[in-house]
Amino acid sequence: MSSDAARNMTVPQKNEASRALFDDPLRLLPQSMTKLFSFWVRATYPFDSIGTHLSMHHSTRLNRRVTPGIRLGNFVTFKKDAWLNLWETQGPKIIIDDNCCIGARSVISAQNRIHIERDVRLEASVLIQDHNHAYEDVQKPIRDQGLTPGGTIRIERGCYIGQGVAIVCPQGELVLGHHCVVMPNSVVLKGAPPYSLLSGNPARIVEQLDPSQSGIQSACAS
Amino acid sequence: MTIVSDSTETKLNNGPSYLEDPLQLLPRALTSLYSRWVRLSYPFASLGKGLSVHPYCGWQRSQAHRISLGNHVQIRKDALLQVAASSVQSDEPAIIVDDETCLGPACQLIAKNRVHIERDVLIGQSVLITDHGYSLQDVVGSQDQQISEGGRVRVGQGSWIGYRAAIVCNKGELVLGRNCVVAANSLVTRSFPPYSVIFGNPARVIRQYDPAKKRWVLKTA
Repeated sequence: MSSDAARNMTVPQKNEASRALFDDPLRLLPQSMTKLFSFWVRATYPFDSIGTHLSMHHSTRLNRRVTPGIRLGNFVTFKKDAWLNLWETQGPKIIIDDNCCIGARSVISAQNRIHIERDVRLEASVLIQDHNHAYEDVQKPIRDQGLTPGGTIRIERGCYIGQGVAIVCPQGELVLGHHCVVMPNSVVLKGAPPYSLLSGNPARIVEQLDPSQSGIQSACAS
Repeated sequence: MTIVSDSTETKLNNGPSYLEDPLQLLPRALTSLYSRWVRLSYPFASLGKGLSVHPYCGWQRSQAHRISLGNHVQIRKDALLQVAASSVQSDEPAIIVDDETCLGPACQLIAKNRVHIERDVLIGQSVLITDHGYSLQDVVGSQDQQISEGGRVRVGQGSWIGYRAAIVCNKGELVLGRNCVVAANSLVTRSFPPYSVIFGNPARVIRQYDPAKKRWVLKTA
């Protein structure tokens, strides 16, 4: 568990965008635009609370009027074309803790509560959604039918969510235990205990790790 | 079913398509200028003729010496070619893209040891090809220890990787044989023989070309 303890210490990390500064002079313009936009967002958007060292690409979709429902930690990175969507602003609906990285083209859409704990890394094109569109009335178009009540989602610390994963919780609570890995293109509808490797559509636990022995045990396929 | 090979070439030779819409001239010129800039200033391991790169391509010049590109490689918008930070420092190229290959928009090649795309491969939009990363040791271990070794990926010549497919190899070598077709949204985690049509999550062969009979045969799992 020593490595686990080491992970719990707050280590100041550089945002990924600033790492490659001066690599290519042509990159200076987009990089400075990201910096300026992050500064602008931090200074003027009315977040529930916001930490230091935000890095947000200027193409991030985020409405200023819903930002009271968002709480961000330190060293949070948003890549290109990420989208934070909220339906109401009462109470923090989206909580993203320290050192999280939200990949390009990712969508986080919250109605109740989505909590992403520290050190979680989302790869590109991830969907996290705690509600659905209602579809029961076949006479009406979907957009006039409103949303389902939905549930809550908690992704615990150190998780790694692969590209194109969808994490959808239509009801109840979905908890992805700490240090889970989700393979690309999986569809996660149920929670998983800590140290699980999930894969497939719908996602199932493929492997599980016992951190005390650090040996991997295959989960039975039944 | 027969393999039609020349359809794209005939379409490309159908006269200059940049005259189609004058509004397309500016982005095309930017792409061409950026490709020229990359050719002049990036220290690639090797670089062929006729490279075309969209200006939004995500790569770093400090990693270019680990990337090798063949002739007439096309790299579309938002494509990402990345050598992992935890990669062993060496001068061997980690990402090799051979001649006439097209990397689609927003596709990601992330290499730690070796990702090799052979010639005439068509890679669709939002495809992920990586040789490391998706293992539990990686998330449990701290930054500098217990990181898994990763594997190697080779995509055989003439293959076609469909929209948003993911090819992930955590250890050993993953080889897709020549002329494989990977269906959209598939997840490939092991090797497949040549002339296979692969589909699903996890992927399996649904169709295969029989070179002896010279036709495609169905495979039911």
